Amino acid sequence: MRIGIDVGGTHTDAVILDDQIVMASTKVLTSKNVKDGVINALDEVLSESGIDCHAIDAVMIGTTQFTNAVVQRRELAPTAIIRIALPSGEMVPPMLDWPDDIADELGRHIYMIHGGKTYDGFPIAPLQDDEIDAAVDDIVAKGVRLVAVVGVFSPSDPTQEQYVAARISARHPELRITLSHSIGRMGILERENAALLNASLLPLADKVVSSFASALQERDIKCPFYISQNDGTLMSADFAAEFPALTFASGPTNSLRGASLLTQLDNAVVVDIGGTTSDIGVLQDGFPRQSNIAIEVGGVRTNFRMPDIQSIGLGGGSLVKDGGATIGPQSVGYRLVEDGLVFGGDTLTTTDVLVASGRALIGDKERVADLDATVIKTATEKMHSIIDNGIDQMKSSRDPVPVILVGGGAVLVSESLKSAAEIHRPEHSGVANAIGAANAQVGAESERIVSYRSVPRDKVIEEISSLLTADLIRAGADPETVRIADIEETSISYMANDSTKIRVKLVGDLLLRKSGER
Amino acid sequence: MSIRITHEDIADLCKGSVFLATGGGGDPYVSQILVEKILEKHGPVDLVSLSDVPDDAFIVAIGEVGAPSVSLEQLPIGTECLDVVDRFEAWVGKKITHLVSFEVGGANSVIPLIAATTKKIPLIDGDGMARALPEAQMMTFAIEGVRPTPAVAVDYTGGAVYFDTEDTLIYERQIRNIAMAMGGMVFTAESPMTAAEARCAVVPGTISFALELGRMLTANFGNSVHVEKPLRELFDRSDYGILKHLYTGKIVDINRKVVGGFDVGEAIVEALGNDMPPLTLAIKNEFLVATVGDKVVASVPDLITIVDHETSSPINAERIHYGQRVTVFGIGCPPHYRTERALKVVAPRAFGFDFDYRPIESL
Repeated sequence: MRIGIDVGGTHTDAVILDDQIVMASTKVLTSKNVKDGVINALDEVLSESGIDCHAIDAVMIGTTQFTNAVVQRRELAPTAIIRIALPSGEMVPPMLDWPDDIADELGRHIYMIHGGKTYDGFPIAPLQDDEIDAAVDDIVAKGVRLVAVVGVFSPSDPTQEQYVAARISARHPELRITLSHSIGRMGILERENAALLNASLLPLADKVVSSFASALQERDIKCPFYISQNDGTLMSADFAAEFPALTFASGPTNSLRGASLLTQLDNAVVVDIGGTTSDIGVLQDGFPRQSNIAIEVGGVRTNFRMPDIQSIGLGGGSLVKDGGATIGPQSVGYRLVEDGLVFGGDTLTTTDVLVASGRALIGDKERVADLDATVIKTATEKMHSIIDNGIDQMKSSRDPVPVILVGGGAVLVSESLKSAAEIHRPEHSGVANAIGAANAQVGAESERIVSYRSVPRDKVIEEISSLLTADLIRAGADPETVRIADIEETSISYMANDSTKIRVKLVGDLLLRKSGER
Repeated sequence: MSIRITHEDIADLCKGSVFLATGGGGDPYVSQILVEKILEKHGPVDLVSLSDVPDDAFIVAIGEVGAPSVSLEQLPIGTECLDVVDRFEAWVGKKITHLVSFEVGGANSVIPLIAATTKKIPLIDGDGMARALPEAQMMTFAIEGVRPTPAVAVDYTGGAVYFDTEDTLIYERQIRNIAMAMGGMVFTAESPMTAAEARCAVVPGTISFALELGRMLTANFGNSVHVEKPLRELFDRSDYGILKHLYTGKIVDINRKVVGGFDVGEAIVEALGNDMPPLTLAIKNEFLVATVGDKVVASVPDLITIVDHETSSPINAERIHYGQRVTVFGIGCPPHYRTERALKVVAPRAFGFDFDYRPIESL
């Protein structure tokens, strides 16, 4: 038996799953201290299902706390960055393109030292111990306790970052460190940003993770708990306390994973239709397809592993104009229940069109009784074509695909869709995030630039896999179930010697211990 | 009339240069923020028109050569351009009077500004490609008989390699392989020219044109139907002469492989809502040939540019993926690429295709 919890900015959702069956679900308000909301949600699902807390094998939590902290610039601690790259990058220092408000929150504690590797592993410059020591002493003198360390091509060769970290810890064991290779991919500026954001979130991470722990403890739930991350896999509570930034896109990911579990589909397009927008994502082998472009978090460029989500301006509150020919992107949003025609307002929305078409009973249908039949027809066709186009842009081949509709606005789709081979509307889709969290696996991935002329492909994959397997076991995976989930290879343009960028991802099932064993 | 480039122009200049890069040239983001910062510190650069270059000028082309994706991880120092100028002058024993970019497509549209503003060496408004192309012998400098060397390449250590050969094919082979041994990306000074040589070998006005193009794209942000008319007018007035709407549709297939160091691929765009046969694009770093059915509708050296249909942002070949709604434009190449000796090195046959070049306006 597992509990899945989704701690959002407004609501905390919880579900209990027995294998894949939803035993109980709830939605309560998120509390300011996080903990009380989690306790309320736990109480609701435990009492609704009548399940004994000792029967719970694992608790999985998804949270937007860390994304919100970055977006709202709150609880970000002063953080230093040590970049191992000189002489390269001398005139492109860290945080050069950050918005001022967030750069000020972290402070501009920037240290550039000699070192780094070239794409083929040759040292750019020798590391200098006195440079490292001087930087660390200065950081400590400024009273900064958090340090991000980034080195050129560290995703291929992390040894220099590790060396610097060891030297920092030996000198000032009280400093907390995030190494960039453990959190980001190729692209030094984006990876450096990711490491900085992560380090600055460490104090908040301690607070959030320990409030989860104490909520569970207060309800006598002694099983291990996990936090879900961007790519739909889990991390242990200890790991999450070190890598809070890995949760940045866990919300949409859990929603996709939840849709997969509810429909038992591993390959499908998921459309989450809200009040203002529809978010479209793609499930590939049960995991969200990931985006390959730089994604900004709170105005800072990062290259986190984020699901590829396309937002289109259609939701239950979208404005209907031009006799139904124009829909959205403007929306009445959460004011739908005041401004929509069927709710007594005077704005024509997609929900009103739906009610007028007789396909749903929401609000007062008399208020749309005299809506012109051509408007209804035009608007209904337009809504479907907007969604159809959105799905078509996201799906990865030209054949129709299974489509899963979730979210409050899913009723808007009242007819068939050309792009959809079949349409699924799962029950419990309102708590898909919590279900997704409860259903997560553990995963790990790594990327490097290689030349298959010097090292055979099989050997490269084997080497990366064995390193990742060790990571996964540390993250709580059952060694028996670890498998390669994905291999992505990209050739590098304008290079003379057949270099390839390879990214390997492994996943495994969570090793569930019996309660009380912890 | 001289054009002044300030740090506030760099984002637009980069946008225009990506449009002219025909899918190649890499992501200029790092160069953009570097050059913005340097221009802010050292002041704007006045572009010199070719006709204003004095007869006794000594002109040298500078820029970066190598794999753009490497420099997204191993950043430039930022001063390589200055180093390469110093090294070149010391070796040749002569002061450079004017700089010129060798490629307006991609980061090399802005890199020479670093040396121009810092060393106060005038920069010519023009370049050696009018687009992006993969190899040195394809530059108008080489085509017009300019010797590629003396040339200097500087790497991330500040170390340099000096080249002395009169054959551009040999120079291309040397620089490509040496760039790999020098960290994947080098900054070079090459193709020294007299004013007389530059007047035939440099494609005039391309840097200011890229800026104007970028500004126009920023001002007309919106879908490609909306942008097409101002785009057409802009290209009509320029040496490119013509911009044609070739196709609007959706990417339905994409595949690539590496052949001889080049990213060779094919993308298929399918029309929406009509029965037009699909458009096929052949890609080798850049978009080289566009075919609809059996008919070639544009080919190298004419430019093929793909933009996102909704935003009109140009799309790099490495970023093409299934499902994108795109508009494909074909653009005439400037007269420099229409001569017999130019077509020997940049026509479709030079890239291994089995057909002759026909100008886009006749297709």
